Parts: sequence; C-alpha cells; structure tokens
Amino acid sequence: MRASWAETIMGFAVLAFAALMLTYALGVSGLKHSSGTYEVSARFGEAGGIQPGAKITVSGVKVGSVSDVTIDPKTYLAVMHLSLSKDVKLPSDSTAKITSDGLLGGAHIALMPGGAEDDLKPGGEINNTQGAVDLFGLIGQFIRPQSGSPAAASSADSAAKAPAAAPAPAAPKAAADLPEM
Amino acid sequence: MGLFSTNPVAALGRATLEGVGAIGRVGLFAARGIAAAISPPWYPRQIIAQFASVGFLSLPVVGLTAWFTGAALALNIYSGGDRFNAETVLPQIVALGITRELGPVLAALMLAGRVASAMASEIGAMRATEQIDAMVTLSTDPRRYLIAPRLIAATISLPLLTLITDIIGVAGGMQVSNYLIDLSPGIYIANTMDFLTAWDVESGLIKSAVFGFIIGLMGCYHGDSAKGGARGVGRATTSAMVSAAVLILAADYLLTSVFALK
Amino acid sequence: MTTTAKIAWTGISKRFGAQVVLEGLELAVAPGRSLALLGRSGQGKSVTLKLALGLMKPDAGQVLLDGVDVTRQSEAERRASFRGIGMLFQGGALFDSLPVWENVAFRLINADGVGRAEARDRAVEALALVKLAPEVADRYPSELSGGMQKRAGLARAIVGTPSLLFFDEPTTGLDPITAGAINELIRDRVTSLGCTAVSITHDMASARTIADELAMLDNGRIVWRGRADELDHADHPLVRAFVTGQSME
Repeated sequence: MRASWAETIMGFAVLAFAALMLTYALGVSGLKHSSGTYEVSARFGEAGGIQPGAKITVSGVKVGSVSDVTIDPKTYLAVMHLSLSKDVKLPSDSTAKITSDGLLGGAHIALMPGGAEDDLKPGGEINNTQGAVDLFGLIGQFIRPQSGSPAAASSADSAAKAPAAAPAPAAPKAAADLPEM
Repeated sequence: MGLFSTNPVAALGRATLEGVGAIGRVGLFAARGIAAAISPPWYPRQIIAQFASVGFLSLPVVGLTAWFTGAALALNIYSGGDRFNAETVLPQIVALGITRELGPVLAALMLAGRVASAMASEIGAMRATEQIDAMVTLSTDPRRYLIAPRLIAATISLPLLTLITDIIGVAGGMQVSNYLIDLSPGIYIANTMDFLTAWDVESGLIKSAVFGFIIGLMGCYHGDSAKGGARGVGRATTSAMVSAAVLILAADYLLTSVFALK
Repeated sequence: MTTTAKIAWTGISKRFGAQVVLEGLELAVAPGRSLALLGRSGQGKSVTLKLALGLMKPDAGQVLLDGVDVTRQSEAERRASFRGIGMLFQGGALFDSLPVWENVAFRLINADGVGRAEARDRAVEALALVKLAPEVADRYPSELSGGMQKRAGLARAIVGTPSLLFFDEPTTGLDPITAGAINELIRDRVTSLGCTAVSITHDMASARTIADELAMLDNGRIVWRGRADELDHADHPLVRAFVTGQSME
C-alpha cells in the first residue's frame, strides 16, 4: 500500500518506454500507408507463396511490401498490389519476379528495373512478370517427362509481347488453359 | 502418514474425495467472490489500492521480463531458425510469439510469483491475527472489502500489463535485431505492424484476463484458508503461487485450443 | 432475572471432531452487567465468544441476543446486528494496512457511510477516551507498543457506542502495570457507556477489576457462578485453585 518512490518511478519509466515504442511503431506503420508509398499492380500466372506483407526488393534491398493479393475473375490471373516506397522510381518496363528465399522459405517479389525513359506511375501496372517456380512440378517433370503437358509460361498475357522476360515453367494445373509455348 | 498404513484403495479414494472437495471449495469461493465483485457495495479505495499494487507496481518486473524475452526470442530465431530460413520472418515470429503466447503467459507467471503469493500471505496473516474476524464484527463483509477488490484488480490489470508486455517484447526483439544482426528498426516495425492482426493481440488479452482472475482467486483462496499460524501462512503463500502457475498453464492450453479450433 | 437477558447461551454444544468443547452450556448476562468468564486454557472460552459473534456455528443450542437467535441469522442480518456490539480481540486485531484512526473509524467509514473527515474526528475522540494522544492517529499499528494496540483496539470497539462489549483476554501479553491501566480503562468505559460486557480471561486481577459477576467454565459447562466478592469464599476446588494460584492437588 505504501509504495516506495523507487517503485513508483520505475513504474512510470516502464510506461514511458512502452508509450515511446508504441508511438514509434504507429509512426513507422502509418508512414508506410500514407505519403511514403505508392501502389502499382502486377499480374502473375502463379502466385505461389506470396501473401500480403511479403517484401519487395530491388537488387536485394527492400523497397516495399505486397499489400494485397486478389484474383482477376476474367483471366484467372493472380493480381498483386505492390506498395512501394516513394523514394524508388522504377522505369515503366521494369520486370517483377517471384523469388523464393530458399528451398522451403518464404517468397518475395524481386523487381528488375528496365531501360524505359518514363517511370511507373502510382496505380500503374508492371507488365513484365515472372511467376513462381513450382519446384515440385519441375521435379515431377524431370522424373516423368512423358506425363502431363509440357511446361507453360507462367508469365501471363505479358509473355508474348515482352519476350525479354524469360518464361518460367509453372505447374501444369495452373497453366492448363494457357497456350503452349 | 496414514497413506501406507491403510489399504491403498481406500487411500486412493480418500485422495480423490479430498481433490473433489478442494475443487468444490475453490468453486464456491470463486462464485461468492464473483458475486461480491459484480454487485454493490464496492469499496473504491480498496479497488484503487489493489490496482496500484497489482498493476502499477508490477510494471518494472513485467517490463524487464518482456524485453528480455523478446530479445532472446529474436536471437534464437536468428541463430536457430536459419535452418529453414526463419530469419527472414524474424519480426513476424517474435510478434506472434509475444502477443499470442509468451506475453500473456510470462506476465501471468511473474504476477503469480509477485501478486498471488503476496495476497495469500497478507490475507493469511489477517486470518491468523483475527483481523478478518474483527472485520466481520465491524459490520463489514471481508468478501467485499478484501476479496472482491483483489479479483477485480487482478482480472483487469493483467490484460493491461500484457498490452505493455506485447509492446516492450517487440521492442526487445527490435533492438537486438538492430544491434546484433543489423536489421533496421523501421523495417522490423513495418513488418511487425503489417503482419499482426487484431486477433493476435486480442486473443492474448482474453487469455490474460482469465489468468488475472486465476491469480487473484488463488491468492485469496489460499490466504483465506490458511491454518496454523506463521507456518500455515508460509504454506499458503507457496500453494497460492504454485497452484496459480499450474492453473495458468492449463488454462493457457485450454483457451489456445478453443481459439485455434474455433 | 425476569427481564430478558442481553445475551444468553442456551443448551450450547460444540465439538471439533471427537473433542467435545461445550456440552449443554447455559449462561445468561442481564443488561448492564459485566461478566467475566473464567476457565483453564482450552476449556472453550474463546469458542463461547466466537459462537456469540456468529464466527462459529454451534452443533446444538441457541445464542440469544436481545431474545433473537443469532445462530440462525443470515450473514447480512448478523452484520447488521453487530452495530450494537463492540469486540476487543486478544491481539488487538488491528488492520495493519491502515493507520490507527482508520482502524478506529473502520465501522463508521465502511459500514455506516460516515464521511472520512467526520469519521476521523470521532476516531480521535475515541482515542482520547482510551488515553491515546491525537498524534497516534496517523501511526500504523506496527509502530505501536502492545499496550497501545490494546487501547486502539478498545477505541475501535467503543466508537459506535455499543450496548454490548466483548473482551477476549484483554490483559494477555501485557506487563502488570499496563494490564492494570487497561483494566481500569475497560471498567471506566463499560460503566460510562452503561453497556453489558462479557470478558474471557484467566487473569484473576483483571476479572476482579472489570467484572461484577464471574463464571467458571470447565468441561463444557458452567461449574460456578458468583459475584466478585464471593470469589474468596467459594468452595469449588477449581475456583479455589484459580484464586490461590495453586495446583488443585
């Protein structure tokens, strides 16, 4: 009941530290969603492993995160909404590629800047995409090459008009309705 | 003593009956305590005093526990988790671990040690020195004056302390990641805040309210049923702490499975 | 005794397991009288008091307070009936988390809804009646000597102007001079309040000072009862042993 001064001061110190930390955390996360970022989208034939919150890198440096993953009801392609830092301006012909962090680890999106004069605008779309590599699909094809259809491009509608993006093999089930390359 | 002198089946039966009796007594005590806590008259001064001693004065110990736990957790995920690339989601694992499990449980266990034992020894000593009898003769219900404020303060304080634990635990993970593995605080926090859902924190707070009630209940029950002078009070103190800790861990499992399966 | 007794134990039996403590106890105290209940240790004096306070339930019999059986009362009714009762516990039983004045004013603040400022004034008045200085009011019980704790406990018992006072071994653990002062105080307060008093004690000097009637409890019932001045001429061997302080053999 009769608390000592030291205890009271320590209690306030802990509260102050927690309040400081909370302010900082809210500041950081608030910044991300307000003026500090802009959104672009990208379509992938195979979203394997990417979930909201996954990081986006350029040359291995984090520049943003995936804010949402939806499905395009017409083309059945995965639509990624990418939240990028305003400090990073990317050429409009940049490439987005889903990369695994390791054999079983989480996936992230790597952006490779292109050479175009104009930059990607907020709300724009990255047309050159490379979907996730389905490792088990690959292994399956390697073991039984005669079964199933050959590998199809995972990069969707963009693959034809942008041959620079190397098509990656994807799971047959995911690409079954796409034309063979 | 008599356990081996009589037939073992009877001993087993007696132990079972005693166990059932204890559950009944605790249940009755809890029901009466809740009834006193949720109906007037209340003693606001007692309630505030308990909030100060249960909640506020537990901040330093709970804060330290949280920081070191978050820091150690981050280091372990970094050094042990690289076998499956877990270090890439280090902030997320720390946040999940702290908010859902370690924050509520460790804060509760620290309070079981600090508060449940203190309650048991205080109430036990009051029993032993006839202070509780004296209170009855002064037309005051000890359940309302002593028990209810402690149950109220413990049940409400612990979720608040757990909120602090969550914040400071993440801070511990963040600071260690910054100094030892060079992960920038901004990215750490951004990852944490993006990843955490409201339910991660809420489920931890719901659990900690239950844990808080357990702490208050065990402290008061063992104190109130203390018998046999100073030695009895000592025993009550230990029992309060141990039973609170065991019940907290059991309730943690039960509640987590209810949440996980819902 | 044609008037209703202030308090009466009728046909009380109480046992703990196999041990019989009280067996058909009959004891009544008329209004305004002060009775000292004597007896050897472990003969059920404290149990008799606790039964009257409702802190224990008898196995059989009734305790009648102003003609009302307190053993059948609910807890709330019993707490209400305590408004006219003061009790001085053996060790004082002061609440050690509260300063002395809040101890004395405990009933006023927590049961009677008296404001803290007024309760404090009345507590200081009660402390003056037991010869404790106003400075003592803000000290905590652990800072008081044993005699001062007894005085503070007495102040707490009389602050509500009770009509019935209980004293549980009021002089135990005190030196003879302090004990004498406490005995004087008790007699003083009981007479000026004009209330009924029941004390349990095995201190003969205390019994002679504070009581006008004495009763000897042995083997679960009253074996002798008389006025204080009859004590020296009593022929009951146990009473004689108490008076002379010698073994009964």
